[in-house]
Amino acid sequence: MRVLVLFLLFLTVSFAKLKVVATYPWIGELVKEIGKDRVSLYVIARGTDDPHFVVPKPSHIAKMRDADLLIVQGASLEVGFLPPLLQQSNNPKIQPGRQGYLDLSEFVELIEKPANISRAMGDVHPEGNPHYQLDPHNISPLARAIAERLCQLDNPNCAYYRGNLEDFLKRWNTRLTEWDREFAKLKGIKVIQYHKLYDYLLRRYGMVLVGTLEPLPGIPPTGKHIEGLISQAQGVKFILQDVYHEKRTAQFVAQRLNAKVVILPHDVGAMPEAKDLFSLFDEILRRFSQ
Amino acid sequence: MKKAVLLLSIFSFAFAQEVKKEQESAPADRSLQLRSKYDERLKALQITPTGQRSLLNLSLIVDTSFVARNKNDQEFKKLEIPGLFHRHEGNGHGHEHGALNEKRGFNLNYAELFLYAPVDPFFDLYATIPFSEGGAEVEEAYAVTRGLPFGFQFKVGKFRSSFGRLNAQHPHAWDFANQPLVYKVFLGDDGLKEKGVQLNWLAPTPFYLLFGVEVLQGENEQSFGTEGFKVDDVEVGDTRKPNLYLGFVKTSFDVGNLSVLTGLSFATGHSRVNHLGEDDPHAFAGKTKLYGFDLTAKYMIDSYRYISFQGEYLYRDQKGTEYEFHDNTLETEELKKKQGGFYTQLVFKFDRRLRAGIQYNLINKNNVKKNGVKEDLPKNLPAYYAMLEYNPTEFSRIRFQVGQNRAFFHNGERKTVNEFILQFNFAIGAHGAHPF
Repeated sequence: MRVLVLFLLFLTVSFAKLKVVATYPWIGELVKEIGKDRVSLYVIARGTDDPHFVVPKPSHIAKMRDADLLIVQGASLEVGFLPPLLQQSNNPKIQPGRQGYLDLSEFVELIEKPANISRAMGDVHPEGNPHYQLDPHNISPLARAIAERLCQLDNPNCAYYRGNLEDFLKRWNTRLTEWDREFAKLKGIKVIQYHKLYDYLLRRYGMVLVGTLEPLPGIPPTGKHIEGLISQAQGVKFILQDVYHEKRTAQFVAQRLNAKVVILPHDVGAMPEAKDLFSLFDEILRRFSQ
Repeated sequence: MKKAVLLLSIFSFAFAQEVKKEQESAPADRSLQLRSKYDERLKALQITPTGQRSLLNLSLIVDTSFVARNKNDQEFKKLEIPGLFHRHEGNGHGHEHGALNEKRGFNLNYAELFLYAPVDPFFDLYATIPFSEGGAEVEEAYAVTRGLPFGFQFKVGKFRSSFGRLNAQHPHAWDFANQPLVYKVFLGDDGLKEKGVQLNWLAPTPFYLLFGVEVLQGENEQSFGTEGFKVDDVEVGDTRKPNLYLGFVKTSFDVGNLSVLTGLSFATGHSRVNHLGEDDPHAFAGKTKLYGFDLTAKYMIDSYRYISFQGEYLYRDQKGTEYEFHDNTLETEELKKKQGGFYTQLVFKFDRRLRAGIQYNLINKNNVKKNGVKEDLPKNLPAYYAMLEYNPTEFSRIRFQVGQNRAFFHNGERKTVNEFILQFNFAIGAHGAHPF
């Protein structure tokens, strides 16, 4: 019996799992779907965090030290916390440009790429809008990219990862058809949002963005801007609000415009209902149709 | 025996798996192998984690302030902290730029040029070049490895030592306009910035645990120094060079939304203080040991708000020979100093753009013995500061600070310094985010 325990112990040690660190929970969900129990996963940000403002805690550094793969959202979204963590991780494997660094923004088409850039425009990302996870059609190519990278780093388990990928894509595509059908009903409705956070979703399903509560990306609402927005906006149905910003402005504007504030999860874990990638989009849909 | 065989077979099996993995993923041709390896590494040059594909990250940080103080600049310059600090001029080393917020009225504290880029796949290079109205200096210029295995990292050049918590931070990352009193008296206005090397090792533990050693030239004006001097016909030689050896350990853990970072630091080196060119000429040659303990506890309320406690205790143990002139005759005395003090601060970020904080400084040990006789020096030296900050974005800051410093003396009399500082700080260009 003792020998058996010892054997099992050594088995787990010698087949050490691939260690993956993901910056955001939705990326972690993809890793879980594809890697399942053959990878160990650590996620830096929480779903309730503002993705732009994540604290570079030293505890993250300890997890990055031994990671085989770091998966990031990219497009400068992590610029406020990832560079110092990477620099202090003392881990050559996950440095940008190496095989253990996977930037998912390279696998989707980014929208709103500015022609020129100045900080006077607020927090504009030179690569384009980084919140691409909110178009459910972007998820499949990203799942593929992650599976491919896991294969490269952990070849013996490649068939397992590919199998899980196929299984995930099958389930995802089924739901995607349903979501497409349901979201299509929202086509043409006018919305205002706090930050340019839901643009990919709006674009995919033909919703019309009238304006943002922020005068410029990353700059909190001002009275003058809000008055201007209210005077111009007509027929706005929803004010889309994230979970981490203040909600007073949205409520004020909603009241003035006779619109409805809809608080939407932007990531897995942003609210208890969004517990995985599937329920994230289910919940977004549910909150629109409430 | 059976167990051993079993173990051995497991090991060999595991090893075989490893080898197989290597073979499968690499192309058969050796030159192809090298090329693919090189291609991948070359990519590191073009991609920085900021997403910007540029060969050089360049930024400029400008710090300017308005100061109101109850002592005029001449009076302020003459103030000293007995046994710990006095201003000295014209002995030819250090001090290209003065202390921050030194003069009444308007100050241009610095316009600091910050450069960063990967050198090649193996090193990152950082340089900090502060310009003052008087000229420029190379405050930092160092390379850091980006590819050492087993959690090691090596740093070479001139850099801010990782001693303590605040020393490695640039002034624009500080929570208050000036450095704490203990830093001023033990490490000087510029902190411990030295030429040398650092090797650090991040332990493979589930929590953050970092060990580091530094070998530094040891030219710090307050506690160390390398250059010998001549007093009358007594000649004191240079110290060994490099002169300063330093070690630190830092660890961190989280309890829910609370993150704690704490560390111990130790530095030992020889000291040469040459103030022979001054009105009251004196010099010192000896050895100094410096101990530091730091603790930071930051409680995150949400993405924008936090409460942060930070404190550091520094202790200096200095022994050596003091050369002084009494009525124009040289006196040589055996000098022993055991001194210590701390600062603690509480900073509350209560809004996305607003922060408020208080800082308490105290030097509570000031034990100086000359030839075994204890000097009668004040040992209760406090200073208090409070600040309110408005940060329109991460790149601009307006800070109001009021403070009272009761550590300064002149001719044996305590001179309380009250001050008000209005500080402006701006950053342009690609400036990297700051660590925790």
